[in-house]
Amino acid sequence: MNLHFMKKTQRGLFLSLSLLVVFSFLLAACGPAAATTEAPAPTEVPTEAAATEAVPTTTEEPKPLPPITILINESPWLAGFEALVNKYVEETGNQVTLNRTPFNGMLEKSRNAVQASESEFDILTLNEQWYMQFYADGLVTPIKDIDPNFELDPQIIEYEWATRWDSELGYSSEKGELYGLPINGNIMLYFYRKDLFEAQGLAAPQTWADVEAAAQALKSGDMSGYVVRANPPNWEFQAFLASYGGNVIKLDEQTGEWEVTLNSPEGLEALNTWLKLGTEYGPANFADNGQAEMIALMASGKVPQMVLVGAAAPDFDNPEKSTVIGNVAAVPVPGSAAGMNATMSGIWVMGVPHNLPDERKQAALAFLNWALSKDAQLFYAQSGAIPVRQDVYEEMANDPKLGWWMKAMADSTPFIHAQPRLAETPQIIEVLDRRLKQALISEITPEQALLEGAKEIHKILTDAGYKVKPLAE
Amino acid sequence: MNPSKLSPTPNQVGISSRLGKFIDRTFQYWTVAPLVITLLLLVAYPSYQLIRMSVSEVDIVKGETVWEFVGLKHLETARQDPVVPTALKNTLVFVIAVVIIETILALVISLLVSRSNHFVGLYRTVLLIPLLVPPIAIGTMWRLMYDYNYGFINQALAVFGIPGPTWTADPQLAMPSVILVDLWHWTSFMFLIILAGLESLPQEVNEAARVDGASESQILRYITLPLLRPTLLTAVMLRTIFAFKVFDEIFLLTGGGPGTATEVISLYIYDVFSGQFRLGYASFLALGLALIISIFVIFYRRVGQRAQA
Repeated sequence: MNLHFMKKTQRGLFLSLSLLVVFSFLLAACGPAAATTEAPAPTEVPTEAAATEAVPTTTEEPKPLPPITILINESPWLAGFEALVNKYVEETGNQVTLNRTPFNGMLEKSRNAVQASESEFDILTLNEQWYMQFYADGLVTPIKDIDPNFELDPQIIEYEWATRWDSELGYSSEKGELYGLPINGNIMLYFYRKDLFEAQGLAAPQTWADVEAAAQALKSGDMSGYVVRANPPNWEFQAFLASYGGNVIKLDEQTGEWEVTLNSPEGLEALNTWLKLGTEYGPANFADNGQAEMIALMASGKVPQMVLVGAAAPDFDNPEKSTVIGNVAAVPVPGSAAGMNATMSGIWVMGVPHNLPDERKQAALAFLNWALSKDAQLFYAQSGAIPVRQDVYEEMANDPKLGWWMKAMADSTPFIHAQPRLAETPQIIEVLDRRLKQALISEITPEQALLEGAKEIHKILTDAGYKVKPLAE
Repeated sequence: MNPSKLSPTPNQVGISSRLGKFIDRTFQYWTVAPLVITLLLLVAYPSYQLIRMSVSEVDIVKGETVWEFVGLKHLETARQDPVVPTALKNTLVFVIAVVIIETILALVISLLVSRSNHFVGLYRTVLLIPLLVPPIAIGTMWRLMYDYNYGFINQALAVFGIPGPTWTADPQLAMPSVILVDLWHWTSFMFLIILAGLESLPQEVNEAARVDGASESQILRYITLPLLRPTLLTAVMLRTIFAFKVFDEIFLLTGGGPGTATEVISLYIYDVFSGQFRLGYASFLALGLALIISIFVIFYRRVGQRAQA
């Protein structure tokens, strides 16, 4: 009797448990789709101003817009951006929350946001190497879809059309539709130790030959003559390439045909110059330096000159980091000859996700409109960020504290070049980085690096369905 | 208990009896059903998705996932991809080096600790510390230690007048430098398993051998190691699986460089997936890596079965 009872109880227990598990899974599976696709609760920290009470409004003042959340990367210009946001909140009463994210998590968070039923972010901050995919796949909203009367202020620099996407040609061109607005105007500058140059009677270099002469004169003991950026190398190399009149790829807008020109004679000259400066005049670990290491080398007085992102300039004036305060100067990146200067765009743009209700899109655009105004951009620059307006750079060129590099930024605008801007750019950049690194450590010759790289890029474009001219070998 | 309350009606008896027979017949299935369903949802479905992605091009357009079946296109892409052979070669070099060296090191340390009569707890604690540190922290810590200009190692060498090498910038030194960090991190894991195995061995056999005049090296060679073989095989198999998936340390130490000197397959999969957003091709490479690991697992199991036989 007891055994029979136990058997029945066990049976019942197992049956109940089984049914419970099955039922749980069915319930979970039948739940609303949004619950499974929505990103987890963000770890935003409201800005100080957002945390305070909204500025009281009178009946005449416009109704505050809905609060917005901005996905922003933790970078040296974040403090300036936070100051800008706080000013916006104070002036308008509109609330802004910042989701501060390290660089490595930005792309994943952005992708998750645009795949959800409704984006958790009202504004995405997109890097130079990502935004093309967001434009091409329609993951951010064309600005004119939000405000058909929107006109971009001509003083806002477009960084060779980083803001636009031409869906017919499949790349960023002047004729493309406006998808994003620049928020950080990172370009390269040439930094040099003016005290050491003056002591040697050297003028600010205008050409790579000048740079090499300075490297030769200044290399000694602990001091390297020059340092190249090896991690990753593509960005700096592309400035050398553009300064020799070369490109990685080129579009014939008449025929719509692409041409891979990486392995051109200009490409070889550029690569040889870059390699020579890096290996002959660089530090012993020339193949291992990223941006952070380069800043540290300059700030500690171990390198007299380098090409580096403009945003690094404040580090050389920071008494906590720099031993060379007041001794660093900046000019546009030199060229193969005088006037052939070239600097690469490495900007960030802000885009409004496609999956937002109109009210949230309007609120996002209202912030961007305000943030790109001249007054806001002047405040932004004074707060330590990198503005995106030419008139602001020109005005800031006279600033006693920041003028030394703001002038170089203003002077560099005519020389801005862009890396290939296609949906396949990340693949092209991977090839460039790998082949350049191989050449830098002499794993392959410069000719091989360019030819093999060109073949791979040609294949990427062909496989992606572009019309591509045969590769000149 | 009131028996009248338990007395069923004839109709209830019939239903209950039929239900009871049905449950009896299918009882075995019901008992395993939760496990089977859980496995299906947690293992089989993601595996199915991985396989499906590996034969597809997957893109996200306007927030919608667009799938296109491409068959074995990714196999052809992998065959022509110059990074794949380099990454596979580097991965194999890394796996073979770390598994062999860590096994030997852990075996030696385990033997020493198991024979020690003092501070055994302290040894265990100290030796386990590397295993407790997150790989991200390990990568960062060693990156700073290896730094050519400011790193502790080169500064220590400079005290003795020895010029420090460029640990992570020299193509000849980069892989050994990465392997050294992995040894520091994962030898503890092997030590833990091997020590547990050693301590579970019957001591009577050793004592009998000693009585018969066997030396310590003979005991080690003819008794301890053969008895430890199943434990060693398990440890080596697990370590091989983990080593194939190495990512964090190399990502932080060298990023796969200089050149392609430390480019391993996991790092490349990450780049293809996250950097290039080629979901289909990345899935194919991930599936390939899983297959390679499976081959090693089957090999170890065969060796284990043969040893047991």
